[in-house]
Amino acid sequence: MRIEADYDRCEGHGQCEERAPAIFELDDDGYLTHHYEGQDLPAELEGAGRGAVAVCPVAALRLAEGT
Amino acid sequence: MTTVQTTPQYDADIYTDAALREPYEHYRALRDLGPAVYLRAHDAWAVARYDDVKHVLATPEVFRSAEGIALNEPANAAILGCTLASDGERHAHLRRIVAHRLTPRALRPMRQVVTDAADALVADLVARGSFDAVGDLARALPLSIVPDFIGWPEEGREHLLRWAGANFDSFGPLNARAEAALPQCGEMAAYGAALVRDGNVLPGSLGASVLEARDRGEVTDEQCMMLMLDYLAPSLDTTISAVGSAIWLFGTHPEQWERLRAEPDLVANAVQEVVRLESPIRGFGRLAAEDTEIGGVAVPAGARVLVLYAAANRDERHFADPDTFDVARPDALEQLGFGFGEHGCAGQGLAKLEIQALLTALLRTVTRFELGEPERALNNLIRAFASVPVTVHTD
Repeated sequence: MRIEADYDRCEGHGQCEERAPAIFELDDDGYLTHHYEGQDLPAELEGAGRGAVAVCPVAALRLAEGT
Repeated sequence: MTTVQTTPQYDADIYTDAALREPYEHYRALRDLGPAVYLRAHDAWAVARYDDVKHVLATPEVFRSAEGIALNEPANAAILGCTLASDGERHAHLRRIVAHRLTPRALRPMRQVVTDAADALVADLVARGSFDAVGDLARALPLSIVPDFIGWPEEGREHLLRWAGANFDSFGPLNARAEAALPQCGEMAAYGAALVRDGNVLPGSLGASVLEARDRGEVTDEQCMMLMLDYLAPSLDTTISAVGSAIWLFGTHPEQWERLRAEPDLVANAVQEVVRLESPIRGFGRLAAEDTEIGGVAVPAGARVLVLYAAANRDERHFADPDTFDVARPDALEQLGFGFGEHGCAGQGLAKLEIQALLTALLRTVTRFELGEPERALNNLIRAFASVPVTVHTD
């Protein structure tokens, strides 16, 4: 499973970080860092990853096709 | 396509005084009837279940905002072209002009301003002991922050709350409340137009950055006026509603205030839970751009769709014990009170900052809230109290 982030749409609300801190982090300037950009999530983080997609208030995160 | 079912129908007017006071049984009935329910009284399809609300909000190319936000034509015509009532590229363009000023990272310099204002306000009210949680607390903070932030001049501010309330009333069906509101929306628009014409906004404010975008040719004068209104009207009543509901909920659920005092780190989650349970905005409309379906219910092109955030937030198909107030609710973050997707509330960072600052200040000294008799404010769109008399105890 892979998560794609739309950095133009991201407004830095930080709810993905609250739900999945091992995957997403806002840097000191409030910009999103995606620790698994372009990579499959490890199986143990898939639940947290789905949760992060669900709570992004502006739908800037989505599950990549076919994952 | 899934199997298309017969359209469920619902006869009651969900905007009567009684329904606005006690909407939740109507919302439960709508959820139980199906994924989309035709409201005869309003010629609209209500969407009340969590998954279906999220689907509609996530599919803006089918469920359009232009000419779709309000349940009546005059209001839709009046707001056509503002960010809320635009779609696609045009919406993205307008949102970019202003939303970057409202992101949590852009709001960082505001954090201290809001915290200091909340601390001072709460210290004063706690010293008084008894006050109105709506008039003295919920209204006071946003009114001391938001107009300056947006950059409205001092003159005219006395009308802001009345205009903002009218703005939300106008989005309902064309009932007496909406009819009374439309002329006041006109006053607000005229005021906004004068601000743009005269450039009469505070330097360095969000409004000033809108005028600069106009000077760079990125937006027209008319869009500029719409942008001024876009962010002012929704930034007051919504936050005021949530703060009033929060005090009422903590007054009626003292054990939840105890829990928050014991675990103040839950304050952000508690704010989400308040917005879930007493969603300040009942919902917004959309216009179906093509023949489509919602959860298997056929919805024709041109149909008005009423997306009920407040009903989705109490959907037992999604939230366990949805009518229970629980500041530690594990999935409170999934609430849809701020909407979702490309039209998701642009001001939610500021709203959360204000509400959290007030609750955090109260948590320092207040041990419990003793409520008087609260009074509801009736608005087509906003769920709120007109007053919540309260005495705070610090023993």
